[in-house]
Amino acid sequence: MADARDFHRTARMLAIAWIALLALMLTSLGSAYLKLGPWNMVAGLVIAAIKAAIVAWLFMRLREAGRLIRAVAVVGLGVWVILIALSGIDYETRSMTPAAVQRPEQLPSPRQGPPGRRS
Amino acid sequence: MSAIATVPEPRDEPDIGKLGMWTFLASEVLFFGGLFLAYLYGRTHWPQGWATASRRTDVVLGTLNTAVLLTSSAVVALAVACEEDAKRRRWTSRLLALTATLGVVFLVIKGVEWHADWHEHLFPGAKFALDVPGAQEFFALYFVMTGLHAVHMIVGIAVLVVLARGRDWARAGHLEIAALYWHFVDLVWIFFYPLLYLVERHG
Amino acid sequence: MISSYLDDGLTIRSWLTTTDHKRIAILYAIAITAFFFVGGAAATIIRLELATPQGDLVSHDAYNKLFTAHGVIMVWLFLIPSIPSVLGNFLLPLMIGAKDLAFPRLNLASWYLYVAGGLVTLEALFLGGVDTGWTFYTPYSTMFSNTYVVLTLTGVFITGFSSILTGLNFIVTIHTLRAKAMGWFKLPLFAWGMYATSLILMLATPVLAITVLLVIAERLFQIGIFDPAFGGDPLLFQHLFWFYSHPAVYVMILPAMGVVSEIIPCFARRPIFGYRSMAYAIMTIASVGFLVWGHHMFVSGQSLTASMVFSLLSFIVAIPSAIKVFNWTATLYKGSIRFDAPMLYALGFVGLFTIGGLTGLFLASLALDVHLTDTYFVVAHFHYIMVGGAVMAYFAGLHFWWPKVTGRLYPEVWSRIAAVIVFIGFNLTFFPQFLLGIEGMPRRYHSYPPQFQVLNLFSSAGAGVLAIGYLMPLVYLAWSIRHGARAGDNPWAAKGLEWQTRSPPPTDNFDTPPTVPDTVYDYAADEPDPTPEAAR
Repeated sequence: MADARDFHRTARMLAIAWIALLALMLTSLGSAYLKLGPWNMVAGLVIAAIKAAIVAWLFMRLREAGRLIRAVAVVGLGVWVILIALSGIDYETRSMTPAAVQRPEQLPSPRQGPPGRRS
Repeated sequence: MSAIATVPEPRDEPDIGKLGMWTFLASEVLFFGGLFLAYLYGRTHWPQGWATASRRTDVVLGTLNTAVLLTSSAVVALAVACEEDAKRRRWTSRLLALTATLGVVFLVIKGVEWHADWHEHLFPGAKFALDVPGAQEFFALYFVMTGLHAVHMIVGIAVLVVLARGRDWARAGHLEIAALYWHFVDLVWIFFYPLLYLVERHG
Repeated sequence: MISSYLDDGLTIRSWLTTTDHKRIAILYAIAITAFFFVGGAAATIIRLELATPQGDLVSHDAYNKLFTAHGVIMVWLFLIPSIPSVLGNFLLPLMIGAKDLAFPRLNLASWYLYVAGGLVTLEALFLGGVDTGWTFYTPYSTMFSNTYVVLTLTGVFITGFSSILTGLNFIVTIHTLRAKAMGWFKLPLFAWGMYATSLILMLATPVLAITVLLVIAERLFQIGIFDPAFGGDPLLFQHLFWFYSHPAVYVMILPAMGVVSEIIPCFARRPIFGYRSMAYAIMTIASVGFLVWGHHMFVSGQSLTASMVFSLLSFIVAIPSAIKVFNWTATLYKGSIRFDAPMLYALGFVGLFTIGGLTGLFLASLALDVHLTDTYFVVAHFHYIMVGGAVMAYFAGLHFWWPKVTGRLYPEVWSRIAAVIVFIGFNLTFFPQFLLGIEGMPRRYHSYPPQFQVLNLFSSAGAGVLAIGYLMPLVYLAWSIRHGARAGDNPWAAKGLEWQTRSPPPTDNFDTPPTVPDTVYDYAADEPDPTPEAAR
């Protein structure tokens, strides 16, 4: 069981982490108002990743977790990366020309389903 | 900094509950992960629509909500620390209740946002307000993403309320597991925030 | 009679509220068998229709609903849960020397979720069915189909939860509840198969869940995520759907491979050849299986680059499967082979899975796939693996562990006859379909040009034989429960911790803690055949 000093250390660590998270959030907010082009999204995601790392490492205690728990986290993330990466290959290399139905001025505003649709 | 200097020894055998919850959270990464793929598709193919639509989200309420959720994560982590300390255990219930309350605050703010979106005709459908291609798809994803997130929040709040009212024997061990779930729901929001609220705010 | 888990509560209520993994396995077995026959009934009508070139038995709408029902039921309500939820549930704790799974109540919840999902799906069928095919491709399923898509997908969603929770249970169980002396490389290959399967269940099924929710949302609220008119992409659905559905087929085959790896050593009286490479192959199949889903989309509009990548990866994933086939075959070398029913099914598996797997390589080649996709070649390919492979292995496992589960022996002669009938019926049904596919007969068509009739007739006749083969075990296995000879602890003289306890086992699995042997599968062919007379 933790003793009093451990609790103080933990509480202080949590407070610092919390402030860091809020600061990062405001940084993210601020960066969105700068004209950075495609780097806006990169900045937003990088900052989010740092926040996520703080939450995972400190709040969720990955710092103290054994190899197995860390492996679980890595595997979950890794499989998601596979989904994005391989689908991404398709989207990056597919040449798409909008169909006639997709030209903005031809977009129907209200969309009716066929009559008698059942769910 | 001395707060982070000493790291406890990693334990060899994870306990069953923690391993179970982490494994479940890995599956949740894939659940929300599919939505991220849909989002990435839309953002890369309809940048104008995405930007136009994202600017119509309420960045003040969104940022406030993010702060609320980040705080609630810190609070529940503190609750777990209190539970593990004999002298401070009596604070656990109150901190859990505070976390749950912050969760409810989050949902209320979300409700306010959705209410405004409804009246501004930002729900996808016949009367959708924005005529830029892709804008409607942004909002379709927005509502699915925040809606599913809210469902997860409700489950988390319910669990925290039960734990806040339970006795020590019921809480031991379960608290850290519930906190893991709560942190995960926070993690999802951490990524939703820039993706939904901060697309091209400039100009 | 000392009591077993079967005597521990005789009321229906005790069964419906049990947390004993063995009882839950039996609950699953009953439900799965029922769904199997509903799916089989759909297949029967399909094969009857296809016996003649004209679409004269059912309307085209009804036909579409039939093959959809067949696919939905067989994939989600039969194949995915069968070996894991029946054999895995029953055997995993026994094989590792544990008293139960890590989360027994969650296990019961899994069963209820499975049944609820199944009932919702059946309800959709009764109300009028769904005609999109089990693959629910958009935009037809989201925008144009006038059938019970939302209801069916709701059923699938609920059943998916059952899969996820079962996977969760198995993973945690294998990590934390193994007997002290049982390191990872002393685990039976069936356990390895369950572990790899559970990884896939946990990581792939959630993607199906979100995909299904998006389709439901699009149908109910017209939100247009897959609708090009709104900026959506129909192929997005296919990426998400197949990201789950390809690994799902490994969910169907890895447990089957695990079963076969238990049976062949026992009935050849030889240790499995290359145990470590078998374990690594299982994990490799599970991992690489996540990288190949685009091979279902070669002609859907996917980019050529992506198609080439997926094609290459699909060739690679065949390698560990091939390693397993070599190792099973090598296990037989210089073995003392007995052709009991489990072995007949297991050997049938090896041959038919090989054919199915090889034809997968045909389909993984881009140029060939352009010709063969959406023809009966594909139908034959996946039935060779799913039916010739997974279902045969399920039957193999049922027959192998039946004495352990029920404490009874089934009639030997009838079981061998049924296995042979299944093998003959299966090949008669599905081999002609390879030829039909090459000749160009499309799948999911209820009428076809007359030149295809002869092969279709063979196929339909075969289906009749196959049906007989499947019905026979229903009869003699049920018969054996009351009238079969009582089985001893280990009628097959098999290795494995589950054979060290009584048949049927006590509720807590072991009267005395089992002994973990120094090596797995320490069979020796030169030992005198220890199988008792009663088992012959």
